[in-house]
Amino acid sequence: MDNLLEIRDLAVHYYSNRKVVEAVNHLSLDMKKGTVLGLVGETGAGKTTLALSIVNMIRGPQGKIVQGSLRFNGKDILAMGRQELRGLRGKDIAMIFQDPMTALNPVLPVGDQIAETVIRHEGLTRAQGWKKAEEMLETVGIPGIRSREYPHQFSGGMKQRVVIALALACNPVLLLADEPTTALDVTIQAQVLDLMRKLIRENGTSVLFITHSLGLVAENCDEVATMYAGEIVEYGTVDQVFGRPLHPYTRGLFGSLPRLRDSQRRLTPIPGLMPDPTALPRGCYFAPRCPDKMPVCGEIHPRDHLFEGHRVKCHLYGGNGREAGNER
Amino acid sequence: MHAFDTSGSNLSRSLRRIARNFGQFWRRFSRNKLATASLAFVILVALVSVFADLFYNYDFVTANSLENAFLKPGESGVVYFQDRDVEHRFLLGSDNYGRDILGRIVHGARVSLIIGFVAVAFALSLGGTLGAMAGYKGGRMDTLIMRVTDILLSIPMIMLSIAIVAALGNSFFNLLLAISITLAPRYIRIVRASVITVKDQEFVEAARCLGASDLRIVFRHILINITAPIIVQSTLNVGTAILWTSFLSFLGLGIMPPKPEWGNMLAEAREFIQYAPHTLFAPGIAILLTVLAYNLMGDGLRDALDPKLKR
Repeated sequence: MDNLLEIRDLAVHYYSNRKVVEAVNHLSLDMKKGTVLGLVGETGAGKTTLALSIVNMIRGPQGKIVQGSLRFNGKDILAMGRQELRGLRGKDIAMIFQDPMTALNPVLPVGDQIAETVIRHEGLTRAQGWKKAEEMLETVGIPGIRSREYPHQFSGGMKQRVVIALALACNPVLLLADEPTTALDVTIQAQVLDLMRKLIRENGTSVLFITHSLGLVAENCDEVATMYAGEIVEYGTVDQVFGRPLHPYTRGLFGSLPRLRDSQRRLTPIPGLMPDPTALPRGCYFAPRCPDKMPVCGEIHPRDHLFEGHRVKCHLYGGNGREAGNER
Repeated sequence: MHAFDTSGSNLSRSLRRIARNFGQFWRRFSRNKLATASLAFVILVALVSVFADLFYNYDFVTANSLENAFLKPGESGVVYFQDRDVEHRFLLGSDNYGRDILGRIVHGARVSLIIGFVAVAFALSLGGTLGAMAGYKGGRMDTLIMRVTDILLSIPMIMLSIAIVAALGNSFFNLLLAISITLAPRYIRIVRASVITVKDQEFVEAARCLGASDLRIVFRHILINITAPIIVQSTLNVGTAILWTSFLSFLGLGIMPPKPEWGNMLAEAREFIQYAPHTLFAPGIAILLTVLAYNLMGDGLRDALDPKLKR
């Protein structure tokens, strides 16, 4: 099996005031080596929670992985001890955070933060660590000499590049990019993405690319997963999903985008809001907003249906598709 | 583009950076004239206490010479010291045992400063560790530490330190311990509060995500962010510690005569307030000025170091 990451039946809950927030529900997902997987979905769909649980960083006592397994290169992440996890984080799996303004320690020079990481993970000396830090800054287009400067001396785009340098410093196998460009303006976004693409291609890194933007997915990813209310509702290659979106939610997402060719006056948004994650509906979670709702949708939670690797969780395809099986 | 040249070595670069940072700090600090004057006074007191032996011989300021008792400031007398008679001018007069008051103040400064700094260092390491643990770990640990702290804080600090010295016995070390324990709750609270504000910021999570251990996160990523309030609090606390040393000694619970200490000088002199007021005023003013200087300096540091309070 050449799967780098296997997520099986993962469920993550947050507990607050006796309510249970079901952030991730029975989610299964595989990532192959060297692919870039785009994860799209609206705010609150559980994208960041998923990313954090991949490095087992769901914080107790409020948050808990209640079910499922996470295998990275065949090893069970949830069974790892503290020591082993620390070795995994930053070295094999690195994460780029959403907001570069807060992801760097304001009172440490940027080079120091990169050096610290490589010294810990690669067993380098201080001098070697600093040298590596300067090299990494050079690769993201920042003069090495600026390694002794503090985060406030950099612009937002540069800070995000520092964060990327920090994440890539130890040549991770898997990179979790949690909306890496959301905090940046469009021109800087393009620069940062170009850079990421280049570095990813050079090192053969696999990436979980979390974003709101379907455009970015089309441009950067090999595969797409659409997330809704803590579930992957549709999963396939970019060609499959963009060529023929199956799930009504994915179709709704495309419908809310302006198209250049058509002379449509108004966009068609998806009506309503995401269901309250403390009280998810009994049937399909998307049913209350679904334009193609059938009686069965309110009753039974849909299974995964499979068409040549293109996976969709919807009753519409129950009759003709083959069932994926291993989920409820 | 860069403030420094590219040819310089790392060492010279970081030296220059430190110099630049200090320059920035100094510009802000020196704007406050009162704080600058206080700093000068604090340095003066520190120098005097370090080099006390150069000004006055310790044996000289602790030996009685009753024939010189209650000399007025500036008067001279003949002192029998180290097997011979010495003509000596008493700049601030002499006390009831004929000892030089200025000399005793100079040597008393040494005691006060040592206790001030050591007690604060003690309180800082104790309170800082507990506070960081409470703030970072949260949960039951936090509750336990903070309730004990609340109990300590609910006892008047004066009573607490008196109780500790009275229970453990009268010694230099116990005095230190008493002052440290009464100061520690302040650090527990300030460190805990600061840790809580910092620990939920994204860079802490980022550090965790890069594989940093808890210990490393607390010491390298969190505490470094809260050095400013700790420095300020420590400066203020040195003043407090000096005051309490004197206070406990005044009550006879700290440094005992004939060892010179400002508080016990006051205690001895209070009987003679009408007859020889200068014996009382000299140590009193020494305490006043030193504590005031530390407080003003602490305020100045706060203004200079804490950008959130900048006016």
